[in-house]
Amino acid sequence: MRLPKFDYRQPESIQEACAILLDQPDAKVLAGGTDLLVNMKHRVETPSMIVSLKGLRDLDYVRKANGMVRIGALTRLKKVYNDPFVAKKLPALAAAASSVGSYHHQTMGTLGGNLCQQTRCKYFNQSKWWRSARPLCFKAGGDPCHVAKKDQVCYSTYCGDVAPALLVLNAEVVLSGREGSKQVPLESIFSGVGKTPLNLEPGQILTEIVIPEQSADGFSTYKKIANRGSIDFPIVGAAVWTSASTGESRIALTAVDRKPVRTRQLEDFLKGLELNEETIQGVDGLVAKETQLMMSSIDSISYKRKLMGQLVKSALSEAMGGR
Amino acid sequence: MKQAIALTVNGDVYEVLISPNQTLLEVLRDKLGLTGTKKGCDLGACGACSVLLDGEAYLSCLMLAVDAVGKEIVTIEGLSEGGDLHPIQKSFVELGGLQCGFCTPGIVMTAKAILDEEPQPTEESVKKKMAGNLCRCTGYKKVIESVMSASGRMGGKQ
Repeated sequence: MRLPKFDYRQPESIQEACAILLDQPDAKVLAGGTDLLVNMKHRVETPSMIVSLKGLRDLDYVRKANGMVRIGALTRLKKVYNDPFVAKKLPALAAAASSVGSYHHQTMGTLGGNLCQQTRCKYFNQSKWWRSARPLCFKAGGDPCHVAKKDQVCYSTYCGDVAPALLVLNAEVVLSGREGSKQVPLESIFSGVGKTPLNLEPGQILTEIVIPEQSADGFSTYKKIANRGSIDFPIVGAAVWTSASTGESRIALTAVDRKPVRTRQLEDFLKGLELNEETIQGVDGLVAKETQLMMSSIDSISYKRKLMGQLVKSALSEAMGGR
Repeated sequence: MKQAIALTVNGDVYEVLISPNQTLLEVLRDKLGLTGTKKGCDLGACGACSVLLDGEAYLSCLMLAVDAVGKEIVTIEGLSEGGDLHPIQKSFVELGGLQCGFCTPGIVMTAKAILDEEPQPTEESVKKKMAGNLCRCTGYKKVIESVMSASGRMGGKQ
């Protein structure tokens, strides 16, 4: 499958990359390429220009400083989960990074790229030929949403594995632009809008992921159900972080809405409660209320709802043992 | 617009004229005639196009050729030395780790990356890392056996 034609730039600095992006609003950033190039082959993304970050060397690191773990956005997933600190102290992140796609995707794909991946839908992630049987969907440039059966909306689903893990670890991200950089909570970059899932300003690039070292003090895990354990996107994924000392829990889900979801009502409900078989009995009902499931994949809503509850319960049970 | 790039493949430097939208897989097969690397799904889901980039297993169908400049690329053609099969290839031949053979170049290159990274892998580790290489003849058992045997042959214990 040939890639569509595009102009190619390989900037030597982030500033240069941001300047190109400001100049060319239609340009797309290429990090690992395992998401963007597939979408381009399917002709659902056809940028006029690719800004390849493969020439940048200084965004590839995992380092600790001033109570923070800082990970460069171009650090490849394999390096993230093989890092001794991440593997030992941030097991949710290690589990999530090592469950992305196949070994090859983990070798090629970057942490920043994984966070910034496109949302997915059974009507969107298809070849041009497959999609030609229906009018072009809203996300691909047409009007209708075949999931919602309405115009001008998009219910594609965010399916990244790493985002929920980083959300429960209270991660922040550094966004760099031509005017400088700013650090914002990870949660704030997800718009919840299917067509444009990221809140990035023109010319902005996600350059660093920052995790407070306090997050290493709790129990954390990421659990995923996929059709094939080897390579697939999650049908549902759930990350859980709990702290024995503060009695706090943080829970986040992926593949259940247009953005990764922190389930705050459930977290409030669990606050201060001792985790045991009884207290986690009702969590499935609470989890279901905090997501907006749509039939954007081949799995039914009721199936996903059941999986979601089971995954969170099983992660919380593990937390009981881990405390 | 076409541009001239230099690619280092199997130790040789090739100057080729390419368009930015050509993948490394297309350039290897169509420009350099190295057709040992196979085009399967061309979407990163099957692993048939696996090659080594600086020693690691990459999907050449999801890599722009222009992004491979400056990297050491090794394809299945570069694995054997002077007509002698590489120990991994010998193991696959002796243990019947292939049926139709289409997925084999990708599988052998992934095996090379795995064994270079982890000379004595457990069977579980091999299975996990090989999971992105699909074999539609479904000869996975013998594939895993061949990789484990190659590990022994290359000096790792089994």
